[in-house]
Amino acid sequence: MSDAGRETALAAGPERPVRVRGWPWLSHVLPGAPQLLAGRWGSGGAALLVWLGLLWVALRDVSAFGSALGGPADARLAVLIVVVSLTVAWTWSWRDVRRGVGPGQPGTSQWDSMARSFARNRTAVAALMVVFGMYLLALVAPLVSPFDPTAQGDLVNERLLAPSGLHLLGTDQYARDVFSRLLYGARVSMTIGLVAVGIAVTLGTVLGAIAGYLGGWVDSVIMRFVDTLIAFPRLVLLITIVAVFEPGVLLITVVLGLTLWPRTARIVRGEVLSLREREFIQAARALGYSKWRIIFRHLIPNALGPVIVAATLGIGDTIVLEAGLSFLGIGVQPPMPSWGTMVDDGRLHLLNAWWLSTFAGFAIVLTVLSFNLVGDGLRDALDPRTRP
Amino acid sequence: MTKYLVRRLAGAVPLVLGIATVVFFVVTLAPGDPASLVLNPGMTPEVADQMRANYGLDQPVHVRYVKWMGAALTGNFGTSHTYRRPVLDVLLTFLPNTLLLSGCALVLAFMFGIFLGTVQAVRQYSLVDRGVSVLTLFFYSMPSFWLGLMLILVFSFFARNVWHWPIWFPASGMTSVDYEFLSTGAKVVDRLKHLVLPTVSLALVMTAGIARYMRGSMLEVIQQDFVRTARAKGLPERTVVFKHALRNALIPVITLLGLYLPVLFSGTVFIEYVFAWPGLGKTLVDAISLRDYPLVMAGSFFFAVMVVMGNLLADVLYAVVDPRIRHE
Amino acid sequence: MMILHDRRRAGLGAVVLLAATACGGGDPGSSPLEGFCAAVAPRVDAYLERALSESPVPDDERYGGTVVVATISEIAGGMNAFVSADYAATQHHQFVNLMTLLNYDEDLSPHPYLAESWDVSEDGTEITFHLRRDVYWHDGEPTDAHDVAFTYVRLTDPRTAYPNAGFWGQYVQGEDGVEVVDDFTIKVRLQPHAEFLDPWRAVGIMPEHLLGDVPPEELAGHPFGTECPVGNGPFVFRDHQPNERWVFAANPAFPEALGGRPYVDRYVYRVIPEQTTLLTELLTEGIDLYVGLQPDQVQQVVDAPNLYFVHFPSRNYIYVGWNARRPQLSDRRVRRALTLAVNRAEIVEALVQGYGTVANSSVPPFHWAYDESLGDAVPFDREAARALLDDAGWTDRDGDGVRENADGLRLAISIKYNQGNQIRQDIAEIMQAQLGEVGVEVRPQAIEWGTLVGQITDPVERDFDGFVMAWAAEFRVDDAGLFHSDRIDEPYAWAGTQNPEIDRLLDEIAITVDRDEARPLIEEYQGLLADEQPYTFFYYADLTEGVNVRLRDVHMDVRGEWVSVGRWWIDPASR
Repeated sequence: MSDAGRETALAAGPERPVRVRGWPWLSHVLPGAPQLLAGRWGSGGAALLVWLGLLWVALRDVSAFGSALGGPADARLAVLIVVVSLTVAWTWSWRDVRRGVGPGQPGTSQWDSMARSFARNRTAVAALMVVFGMYLLALVAPLVSPFDPTAQGDLVNERLLAPSGLHLLGTDQYARDVFSRLLYGARVSMTIGLVAVGIAVTLGTVLGAIAGYLGGWVDSVIMRFVDTLIAFPRLVLLITIVAVFEPGVLLITVVLGLTLWPRTARIVRGEVLSLREREFIQAARALGYSKWRIIFRHLIPNALGPVIVAATLGIGDTIVLEAGLSFLGIGVQPPMPSWGTMVDDGRLHLLNAWWLSTFAGFAIVLTVLSFNLVGDGLRDALDPRTRP
Repeated sequence: MTKYLVRRLAGAVPLVLGIATVVFFVVTLAPGDPASLVLNPGMTPEVADQMRANYGLDQPVHVRYVKWMGAALTGNFGTSHTYRRPVLDVLLTFLPNTLLLSGCALVLAFMFGIFLGTVQAVRQYSLVDRGVSVLTLFFYSMPSFWLGLMLILVFSFFARNVWHWPIWFPASGMTSVDYEFLSTGAKVVDRLKHLVLPTVSLALVMTAGIARYMRGSMLEVIQQDFVRTARAKGLPERTVVFKHALRNALIPVITLLGLYLPVLFSGTVFIEYVFAWPGLGKTLVDAISLRDYPLVMAGSFFFAVMVVMGNLLADVLYAVVDPRIRHE
Repeated sequence: MMILHDRRRAGLGAVVLLAATACGGGDPGSSPLEGFCAAVAPRVDAYLERALSESPVPDDERYGGTVVVATISEIAGGMNAFVSADYAATQHHQFVNLMTLLNYDEDLSPHPYLAESWDVSEDGTEITFHLRRDVYWHDGEPTDAHDVAFTYVRLTDPRTAYPNAGFWGQYVQGEDGVEVVDDFTIKVRLQPHAEFLDPWRAVGIMPEHLLGDVPPEELAGHPFGTECPVGNGPFVFRDHQPNERWVFAANPAFPEALGGRPYVDRYVYRVIPEQTTLLTELLTEGIDLYVGLQPDQVQQVVDAPNLYFVHFPSRNYIYVGWNARRPQLSDRRVRRALTLAVNRAEIVEALVQGYGTVANSSVPPFHWAYDESLGDAVPFDREAARALLDDAGWTDRDGDGVRENADGLRLAISIKYNQGNQIRQDIAEIMQAQLGEVGVEVRPQAIEWGTLVGQITDPVERDFDGFVMAWAAEFRVDDAGLFHSDRIDEPYAWAGTQNPEIDRLLDEIAITVDRDEARPLIEEYQGLLADEQPYTFFYYADLTEGVNVRLRDVHMDVRGEWVSVGRWWIDPASR
C-alpha cells in the first residue's frame, strides 16, 4: 500500500498481436526502421536513436566515454553497458517485428495508444526533446567542447574570468573552461542517473515480480529485505561506504542503484499481485507455461508501465542527489567534472563569480525538470482515465 | 485492528535490529577511530591507547557489538564521544529544532500542494495545469543546498544591502543573539523571521510531490459517480469541487503524512548546513566523520524506527479515513 | 607542539578533537554528575550579579554592546582544558574563559598573567610560580596554587588522556613534580629543556574545588566543559547551545592590572557551517567578525563599505607529505625534484590571493630562529627538476610521457586530501597538472577525513604516496615526532625519512635552553629539512578575517584571533 500507492498507476492490459507492415530483415540492419515505416513513430524513433547513438559511441567514442567515467575499470564498464544496450535494442526491435508479422490491427497495442496520448502532451514532448538533446550533447561533448575540461590555464591571469567570446561561460578557479566542463559534466551526471536507475529498475523489476508471483516465503524474504533497505538511513550508508572504499563514479553509481531498487520492487510487486489473477495469466498457467516464462514473458512486460514512470522520475532524482553528495564532499572526484561538483565548487564564488555554479545549476534544473515532465506525461498517457 | 497493529509492530522489531546490526558493522569497519582523529604529535601512543580504552574501543568488534546491542535493548545507547553526554540527551537536544523546521515546512508544503494540486486537477491540461507543474517541479529539480543559498542571497543579501527592501530575512540561525532580551511579542517575530527562509526552501522542494499526488487523487475522484451526481443535481462547480470532491480526494493525501514522518524527524542535512540550523541531520552526518559510533548508531536506529512507524501510520490513517479498508 | 589545523567545511565536521569519556558500557543515567550544573549555575549567577553591583561600569564610551564572532566549527571539547587541544578551544581557554599562568607578549616572550612572577632555579630543574591574589573563579572562589597543582597532576596522569601530554614530557610527572609552597606559591620540577615555559602558556588552569573529586577517566565526559564551565578569565560563561552558539558575559571583577573588565558586555560565538552563509551574515551585519574568511571572499569584504579586512601570519603551514617508504619516493632527489617542479609562489598568489609565504621548512617566519636566507632554497625550476629525476634514474623509457626507473616502475603517485577541503583539493589538482609537465603522473584522490587519518597514521600500513595536510607549528621547534628516526613507528612519522643529522639536531634543539645557542642549530635544521624534503613544504598561511567597521581595536597576530578580545569595543553609535 504505502509506497506503490504513491504512483497513480494503472494495470496494463494483456498483450495484443501487432502487425507491422514492412521488412523484417530491415530490423537486422537498422533496428527501429520497420517500426518507423509502419507509422509507429514513438517506438521506432526511440529504437533508431538508441541504436544509432550507441553504435556511434561504440565505434568512435568508447575510450573517451570511459575516460570521462574515470579509470580503466570504468572504461570496461562503459564498453559493457554499450554492448548490452546494443544487444537489447537490437533484440527488442527484431522481436517486435517478428511478433508483429501476422494478422491484426496495426498500432493498437497499449504502447502505441500510450505513445499517441503522450504525443498530444506538448509539454511532455518538449521535455522529452530536452532530455534527448542533453544526451546528445553529452555524447558529442568531445566534438563540441572548445577546451579540454580538465586542463588548467594560467592560474594567475586566467582564473575566474567572466563569460566572454573565448570562454563562453567563463573560467573556474583553476582557469578551466566552464562551458567545456559543463558539456563533459553532462556525461557524468546523466550517466550516473541512467546507470543507477538502470540497475535499480532491473533488480527491482525482477525481484518484485518474483516476490509478487511466487508469494509465500520467497515473497516474505524479498519484501523484508526491501523493507530493511527502505528504512535504512541512506546517507549513513553512502558516507560510510565512500569512506571505506575508494570514491569514484562507479562506486557512487552502483551504491545509488543498490539503494534505489526497493522502491521499484514494491511497485512491480503491487502490479504483479493484481495481474496474477487476471485471465491471461491464468490462461498461460493452464497452458502449462513455466513460472519463469510467465514472470518474464507475461507479467513483467505488463507491469512495466508504472516502472517506466518511476524510472524516469528516478533518473531526475538521482541527478539531484549526486549534486547533494558533492555538497557533502562525497561526490564525483576531481578533476572529473559533473554538474553536482560544479555547482558545489561554485558555491564559494556565488558573489564574485556567479557563472561557476549558475550554469551548472540551471543544467541540473532543466534536465531534472524535463525528466519529471516526461514522467508526468508518461503517467498521464498510461492512465486511460486521465487521457485527454 | 489492535491485532493488526501488534503484528506489524512485532514484524518491525527484527527489521530495526537488522538495520542496527548492519550500521554497526559498516560504521566500525570504516578506517580511523576517535583516538586517531586527534592529530597531535603532543599525544603519545600511550595516551591514544588510554583514550581507546576509555571509549571501550580496545575490545574486539564482536564483543563491542554484543555489548552495544545488550545495552541498546535496555534503552541505553551509550555516551556520545563528541558531545560527552548520553546519546539520548544529544538526540533530544536537537530534536525540537528539527521538528520545528520540518513541521512548519510540512504544513506549508501540504497547504501549497493541496491547493495547487486541486487547481491543476480542476483545470486539467490547461495552461494553468502545465504552468503549475513546471513551476513546482522547477524548485523540486534544484539541489536543495543551492536553492537555500539562492534564497539567502536574494532575500538576505540583495534585499538588505543592494535593493534596500523594508523587509529582509536573516540568513542563518534560529534566533537573534539578543533573543533573551526581547519582549514576548518580539521573540515570536524574531523566531518567525529566522524560520522563513529555511522553511520555504524545504517546503518548495516538497510541494511538487504533494501537488502531483493531490492532482492524481483529485482527478480520480472527479470522475466518480457521486461527483457526477452532484454536478447533475446542478450544484455550483465550486461546491462540487470543494465540498464533495476535495474531501474525498484528501483521503489518500493524508496517508502521505505517514511517509513524510522520517523527514520530519531526520530533517534535511542540506538545509541545516546552509542555514546553520542546529538540527539532527547535520549532527548525525558530522557524527559519522567524527567516528562518534554511539551517536551514529542511535541516530540510525531512530531513523529506522521512524520509517517503520511512518509506514504503519500511513496504513492506519488510510484505514481510519477510509472505512472500506479493514485490516484483519 | 602542533595541532593539525584543519578548517574543513560542511559535511565533514569541525576541527577534530575527541577525548576520553567514561562510556564503554557505563550507565550514563545514574551519574552523580547530573546535579553538577544545577548546583554550579546559581553560584555563577550570584557571582556575576555581585560583581556587577560592586564594580560599576567605568565611564567610558567604549564599554557596552554585544560582539558576535562566527566561524564554521563548534568549539570542540568546550572549556575543558583537559580534553581539548582544538584551536578554537585553546584560544578560548587562553583568552576568554580560563587563564593560563603566563602568556606571550607581541614579541612572543613570556609575560605574567595568572602568575605574577616566577623564578627558575640555577640548574633549570625547578620553577617557582608566584600567583596573583586577586583572581577568582566565576563562582566566587579564589584561584590559588591548589588549582595549579590539581591541573598539573591531572594532565600528567595518563588516565586523563590529555591530548597534549607530550608537551610535558620533560616535566616530572604526577604529584612528585609539583609542590604547593603556600596558597599562592607553587613549585614544579623538570629537566632543563628548550622553551620550558611554553606549556604553561598553552594550558588553562582548571578549578580544583569543582573537579577535584572527579576520577581522571571521567574528566573528559564531565558536563563542566560544555554545559556549565566555570572559568576565571575575562569572560564569564552564560550559555551554550550545541552546534549553535556560546554566550559569554564580561567579567566586571577581572583584575585591573590584567586589563580589567572587557569593553563589550557580551561576547557571542556562533557556529555557521556554510561559508557563503557566513559571508552573507557578515555583509548583512548579523555577525561582527568572520573568523577564517576564505581567500576568495576577501575581495567582497574589501569592497563592502561596512566591512574591513584583517590578515596576519599564522602558525599554520600547508605541505604535501611524502611516503619515503615507497620505491618511487625513497630517493631525496626525487622528492626534491617534485618540489622544484611545482610553482609554489604562483599557487600562493592564485589560490590564497597572496596571503601566505612560500615555505621551505617547518619553522615559520614569525619564529625568532627563522632562517630568511632559505628563501630560494628550492626555487621553481622545471629544468632542474628534470635533470634531478634523470640523475636519479627515472627517465621516460617507453615514450608514454611518464618516467620509469630501470626496473620499469612508473613514476606514478597518488596525492590524497580530505574531501571537502577546497584549498587542499586545489593543491592536489594543480600538482597533478604541474608535475605532469616533468613526467610524473599524479592522481589526486579525495578521501573521507577519518579514513585518510587512519591510512596515514597506521604505522604498519601507511597507505599513501603523498597527501596534502597542514600543521599548526608551536612556538618551539619540536619535530621529533615527525622526523626523528627513533620514532619512525609512531603515528605521525608518516614521512618515514631517516637522517642521522636531523636526529642529532632534533635531540640537541630539544635540550638547548639558551636561544642564542639554539639559533644556529635551528637554522641548520631548516637547511637540512629543505634538503631532505620529507614534505614538500608549501606555504605558511596567513589568517584572513572579515570585520564589521563598528568593531574597533581588533588586534590579531600569530598568538591568535582572540588575543585582544578584551580590548575590542563597539562604536557606540551602532550598538
